[in-house]
Amino acid sequence: MQFALPPRKFSHPSFSESKFSPSSSLRRRRLQSGAILACAAITVLFLLTRIYSFIFTDRPPAGTPKVVVVTAFDAVHTPVYTEKIKENRRDYASRHGYATFFPKVTDYDLSGHPSSWAKVPAMRHAMTKFPYTTYFFYLDQNALIMNPSLALDDHIMSPKRLESLMLRDTPVVLPDSVIKTFSHLKGDRIDLVLAQDNSGIAQGSFVLRRGEWAKYFLDSWFDPLYRNYNFQKNEGHALEHIVQWHATILAKLALVPQRLLNSYNADASGAGAYKPGDFVINFPNCDMDGGKSCEEELEPYFIEWRTQKAQHKYT
Amino acid sequence: MSLSRSPSPHIGGGWSSPGLTSPSPHGTSTPTNAYSSMNGGSNTVTWASAKARSAQVNGYPSFSTKNSGFFGRHFRSLSQSLPKWNAGASRSYAEKEKLGRGRWYPNRGSTLGNLRTFIGRLLRRSKIRAMLLLTIVLGLLLFYLTPLHHWYRRSAFFGGGSKFVVILGANQGGGVMEWKGAREWAIERDSVRNKREYARRWGYELEIVDMSTKKRYAHEWRESWEKVDTLRNAMRKYPKAEWFWWLDLHTLIMEPSYSLQSHIFNQLATNTYRDINIYNPLNISHPPTESYLDPESLSAVGDGKPESIDIIVPQDCGGFNLGSFFVRRSPWTDRLLDIWWDPVLYEQKHMEWEHKEQDALEYLYANHPWIRPHTAFIPQRKLNSFPPGACSDNGEDSRIHYAEKDRDFLVNMAGCEWGRDCWGEMYSYRQLSNKLNRSGWEKFKDSVSETYKKLRATKKTKQTEEKKKD
Repeated sequence: MQFALPPRKFSHPSFSESKFSPSSSLRRRRLQSGAILACAAITVLFLLTRIYSFIFTDRPPAGTPKVVVVTAFDAVHTPVYTEKIKENRRDYASRHGYATFFPKVTDYDLSGHPSSWAKVPAMRHAMTKFPYTTYFFYLDQNALIMNPSLALDDHIMSPKRLESLMLRDTPVVLPDSVIKTFSHLKGDRIDLVLAQDNSGIAQGSFVLRRGEWAKYFLDSWFDPLYRNYNFQKNEGHALEHIVQWHATILAKLALVPQRLLNSYNADASGAGAYKPGDFVINFPNCDMDGGKSCEEELEPYFIEWRTQKAQHKYT
Repeated sequence: MSLSRSPSPHIGGGWSSPGLTSPSPHGTSTPTNAYSSMNGGSNTVTWASAKARSAQVNGYPSFSTKNSGFFGRHFRSLSQSLPKWNAGASRSYAEKEKLGRGRWYPNRGSTLGNLRTFIGRLLRRSKIRAMLLLTIVLGLLLFYLTPLHHWYRRSAFFGGGSKFVVILGANQGGGVMEWKGAREWAIERDSVRNKREYARRWGYELEIVDMSTKKRYAHEWRESWEKVDTLRNAMRKYPKAEWFWWLDLHTLIMEPSYSLQSHIFNQLATNTYRDINIYNPLNISHPPTESYLDPESLSAVGDGKPESIDIIVPQDCGGFNLGSFFVRRSPWTDRLLDIWWDPVLYEQKHMEWEHKEQDALEYLYANHPWIRPHTAFIPQRKLNSFPPGACSDNGEDSRIHYAEKDRDFLVNMAGCEWGRDCWGEMYSYRQLSNKLNRSGWEKFKDSVSETYKKLRATKKTKQTEEKKKD
C-alpha cells in the first residue's frame, strides 16, 4: 500500500508519541535530572540542619576557664592567712587559664551544722557561677598547691590518664569495706575523682565534673537527714555512706593514689605523706585545736612555695 | 487498490471515499454514534494515529523498539506468547457491520437499559478508582480482622505500644502475712484481667508482679519497699521500653479505648504541670530559693520542655499518690530509684513515713533540688480518679473524685482495704465500665428491652389500679 500524501499535521500532538511510548533516552534524561535534584535537596537540607545546630547548640562562650578552683573560707583564720591561701590558688589558676572561686562559709545556711559542710553548697554555687566550665577542683582552706606547673585537666582528668591512674576493685573505705570500686570503668565516664587516706575517703581535695550527675551527687550529699545524723566525721562519713550504698554514685567515682592530689603533711604516716614535687599538701587536722596551729604548720611550706615561685622553678 | 486516498474537500472532513464516510443512521450529521466512533471519529483519523493503532494491534511499532528497556522488551514478548481472546469475535466476522444500520444495542431505548449501560460505562471508565477503593476497604478489613493491627500498635515505630510497660502489683499483702479469702482472689482476678485486656488491646507490655510479703522486705527497715526494686527489674526486663506505668492492684481502667499515647503522651506538656503550686496539698515551698542553685533548679518549671520529664505523679488530697504513676527510662530515673531507699534516711524516718516510698519521694522532692526539674505532676483524674470513699474528709472534690459524665480513665480504690468494701467497689465500677463502653448494637438492644419492660410495668400498674377500683 502506498500513500500519496504525508500525514496532515494537527496542533495537538498525537497520542502515540506522548502517552504510550516515551522514548527511553527521554526517560533517562528525566531520571538523571530527578536524581540531581534529589541530591541537591538532600545537600541543602543537610547544610541547613548543620547551620541550625551550630546556631542553637549551647557552646561555651570564649574565655570560659576549663577548671575552677574552689575553696570555702570560714572566719576561724586571720585575714592574712586567708589571703596567703588565696594568693596560692590565684597564682595556680593564672598559670593555666583557670579561675578561682572563694565563697565564705557564712554564705550558706548550714542550720547549725559544722562549717566543713560548706564545701557541698560551695561546689554547687561554683557550678552555677561558671555554667560552662568542665572541672571543679575543691581544695580545703588548709591546703597548698605546691607544684603549680601540673595542669589539672592534663595531669589527672584527661580520660586516658585517669584510666591509668584509677584504682580498680579496691575497697572504697579502707581497710576492709566490702564495697569495692568497679573494675571496668572508662575514663570518660568518671565524674568524681577522690583519694583515700588512712582512715577512709578524703574529701579535702576532690575534682568534680559538671553535669546532671554532679547536681545529683551534691544534693544527695547535702541531704538534711545526713547532716542531722551525727556522723562522726560529718560530711566525710556522709560521703562514705552514699558512695557505699548507692551504685549510681560509685559508678562515677574514681579513686586515685593519694599523693596525686591530696598529700598530707610530712608527719602523717603512710603512703600519703608529702614528698617534694607533689601537687598538693594538705593539713587535714590542723584546725582541730583552733586556727593558730594551722598558720604555724603551713608557714614553712608557704615560704617554700614562694621562693620557688620567685625562682620561677616551675614555670 | 481501488481506493486511492485523496484529501477531503473540507478540512477535517474525513475520507472522501463514500465507503469510509460516516453515514448516520438517523440522518443527522452528529458523529457521536457508535459506527463512526468505531473508526476513531471522522475528525481524528490521521496518518500518525492510524499508524499508531495498527502498531498497537500488530505488536512492535516501527519506532522505539531498539532502545526499549528490559521490561518493555520482555513484557511485550511475554504478552505476545499469551493466547488471545477477542471479545468481539463474533461481531467482527460472523456478523459484519452493515453499512447504514448502526450497531445493535441491548435494551436500546428503554430508560432502564440506558441507565444500565451508563453505569456500566461509568464503571469501566473509573475502573482504576473502583479498584483502589475496593483495595482500601479490603485492606482496612484485613487490618482489623487479622492480628495486623496488634502488630502495628505494638511496633516501636508505628504505634509505639512496646515502649510502654504496665506494671501491676498483684497479690499485695499476701504471702506470709495474711490469709486471702474468695473476695480477695476475685478482686485479683478482675484487676489482672482488666489490665491484661488493656495491654493486649494497645500492644503494651504487661508485667504482673508478685508483691506478697517476702522475707527480704520483712526487715523492719524495709517493709513493702518492693516498688522501687520492681521498677528496676522491669527496666532490666524490657530494655526497649521507655515509659513504665506502675499500677496498684485496686485499680480499674474504666475506659480501655483510651490509649496512653492519645490520652497523655502525645500532648505531655499540656496534660501535665511542672509547677507544684498549681495544686499543692503538702504546701511544699516551690521553687527553691537557695542562692547557690543554678537557674534551672530555681525555675518553677525546670526547663519547661516535655522531654525533660522523667516522672509523672498524680496528687490526691494528701500529697503524692503512687497508686498509678509513670517513670521514664533515663539516667535521672536510675539515680532516683537508687537514692529512693537509703538506710540513714529510713532509720530516722520510718516511724513517720507511714506510706513508705510515697513519703520518701515527697521528702526527696522537698529537699533535693535536682529532683524538681525532672518531675511533672498530672491532674489526678487524668490518671488516678478516686471513688467517693477515698479522700472523703472534705466531701466530693472535682479534682479528685471519679465523674461518670467525664468518662475518667481509671479508678483507684485507694485505701479500700481499710474499712471499705474493696470487692463491692471493684464490682460496681467494673459494671459501670462495661455499661459505658457498650457497642452501639448492645445499646440498641438494651434500650429496646428497657422500653419493653417499662411498658409492661406501666400496664401492670394500670391493671392493678383497675382491679383495685373494681
